[in-house]
Amino acid sequence: MSPIPVLPLVINGFMSVLGCLATLKLIPAFKDHFISARLYGMDLNKTTKKEVPESQGVISGTVFLIILFCFIPVPFVTCFVGDQCMGFPHDEFVQLIGALLAICCMIFLGFADDVLNLRWRHKLLLPTMASLPLLMVYFTNFGNTVIVVPKPFRSLLGLHLDLGILYYVYMGMLAVFCTNAINILAGINGIESGQALFISGSIIIFNLLELSGDFHDDHVFSLYFMMPFFFTTLALFYHNWYPSSVFVGDTFCYFAGMTFAVVGILGHFSKTMLLFFIPQVVNFVYSLPQLFHIIPCPRHRLPRLNPETGKLGMSYSKFKIRDLSKLGHLILKVVELLKLLEVRRGHDGDGDFIECNNMTLINLVLKFFGPIHERNLTVIMLIIQVMGSAVAFGIRYHLVRLFYDI
Amino acid sequence: MSPIPVLPLVINGFMSVLGCLATLKLIPAFKDHFISARLYGMDLNKTTKKEVPESQGVISGTVFLIILFCFIPVPFVTCFVGDQCMGFPHDEFVQLIGALLAICCMIFLGFADDVLNLRWRHKLLLPTMASLPLLMVYFTNFGNTVIVVPKPFRSLLGLHLDLGILYYVYMGMLAVFCTNAINILAGINGIESGQALFISGSIIIFNLLELSGDFHDDHVFSLYFMMPFFFTTLALFYHNWYPSSVFVGDTFCYFAGMTFAVVGILGHFSKTMLLFFIPQVVNFVYSLPQLFHIIPCPRHRLPRLWGMAAAWLV
Repeated sequence: MSPIPVLPLVINGFMSVLGCLATLKLIPAFKDHFISARLYGMDLNKTTKKEVPESQGVISGTVFLIILFCFIPVPFVTCFVGDQCMGFPHDEFVQLIGALLAICCMIFLGFADDVLNLRWRHKLLLPTMASLPLLMVYFTNFGNTVIVVPKPFRSLLGLHLDLGILYYVYMGMLAVFCTNAINILAGINGIESGQALFISGSIIIFNLLELSGDFHDDHVFSLYFMMPFFFTTLALFYHNWYPSSVFVGDTFCYFAGMTFAVVGILGHFSKTMLLFFIPQVVNFVYSLPQLFHIIPCPRHRLPRLNPETGKLGMSYSKFKIRDLSKLGHLILKVVELLKLLEVRRGHDGDGDFIECNNMTLINLVLKFFGPIHERNLTVIMLIIQVMGSAVAFGIRYHLVRLFYDI
Repeated sequence: MSPIPVLPLVINGFMSVLGCLATLKLIPAFKDHFISARLYGMDLNKTTKKEVPESQGVISGTVFLIILFCFIPVPFVTCFVGDQCMGFPHDEFVQLIGALLAICCMIFLGFADDVLNLRWRHKLLLPTMASLPLLMVYFTNFGNTVIVVPKPFRSLLGLHLDLGILYYVYMGMLAVFCTNAINILAGINGIESGQALFISGSIIIFNLLELSGDFHDDHVFSLYFMMPFFFTTLALFYHNWYPSSVFVGDTFCYFAGMTFAVVGILGHFSKTMLLFFIPQVVNFVYSLPQLFHIIPCPRHRLPRLWGMAAAWLV
């Protein structure tokens, strides 16, 4: 078993901190370029109509890429100086380059989406295309599609199950899921960069804990990506925090999602990584009726500002009763019964209408807590993220014995 | 000596032709997205003030990347089906992925330049950054910095000369030079895509001639990139030809320059590749006084359209 490469990790950490400082400076430096390129948005929850630069994920993403480009030879330096390795570890090298290719492509396509405003079907296509190199590298490096069946299903499926091509479908879907899950838990200052920051922080803690385990190589690999991601995102978070002076853009959501998918897949801990996505999964499931347009979905589902109190309240989706399908009525009834949906029924000039709150986790929090100031709302969401990670660690290190032999 | 991998080359050629058709269709399909994003220019040499979509190199570049992403396992399929190779050729695989990383990064930074209108010093920085993975892959795969000295200089320098770090500087500069050399030979409909098309066509002919030589592996590698590049650029050239319905943008110049630099460096024929750049080199040398602002340099140096009366007089 190879020892833990302490020096490369330290160098990576140091370069990541430099990257944080660089990103901190570069974001304000390019503000005018973005405004001139008309890459800006208006903060819908503020009363001022200031132009806020968008797509700043492209800056933190580029710094991330430069850090890792410069870092590429570092884990392999011992192989040249003193010949301290038994044959060049080509497969590790390929993993590193292949992972960077997937992430670079994703940042590029994400930025193209922000600039060209591509359609929703493209939001599913782009991560799939960007994950192709990842799948190809996995195919040529490992090719392993056999999974260990969780204990409850072993009587049905046996101890091992060869998923074959389904394994690759799962990997492709992971990238699509992670990017879009972050993208839809959005709308209040600091939430996108904040959630990604805390997820990567959780993954870093998990990796550090596993360094003393049997698969520390996988976790060292993950740290090589998570540290630069954490520190560049920290700088972005600083500018994105309430009140946001910059917005992260879809670029950042794509970048973050792909980076997480990459470390989860090549580090062989995708199930644990998904555990850190519990708030995102909850938001995704709660959003499903609107995502599939069973319940009508407006353009924006972010909370609504009450200008008099300065606090954010739930946002609503209003539609005519006759426009709602039978399935929609059923879902509405069930979720309302579970006290997870506020529904108002009424009558206006157009006929009978229904108004329900937009089905997002943020709105759900507002339903339980009442109107909250935007900054505090983001803080609550991030506390939920931390609690989700705590639950994830509990499941991973304790409840896991119910499913697998550790 | 390994045999020439005919099947991968045929598959690559077939995928490249598909890519050509895809690019032909995609360019008009995204026209409105580019106009809405204000990525358009006015043709300075036409009298109409029509909005012409810019940066179309991003479309041909993306199709190029998709072709090659799907192609990645093809040269290595014989290693899985029937175990016909002696140990997996990791270094060839790394070359392929590393080359794609440099090109993908360059298309990305080139598009960012088109969108954000970065400054001239960035036009030198961006190709350098994008060529970093190429240099790292070269360092870990070959690390060879020894050159064979040309005959006239052998009395001075000996037969071989170890350039050391200068070799890496040369490789980095190659990317910077190729991208900008194409970028400054510009200004008339179809010239940017056209020159790249003919340079890549020349490189393809050179590669095919060298397939019967000692270094055919290097030339097979080059063909894997040049064929998709040629066919996607052909589709772009079709839309960019006079009168241009689209402009290629700096994105294309960056993309083209980096792809040429990549095949030249990893195929070990950069000197021959530079020979195909003779017109670009001549243009560059002739432009030097203005590039260094020794002679004042206006914003645009393209030829100027004269009215009908003046054209008759001249």
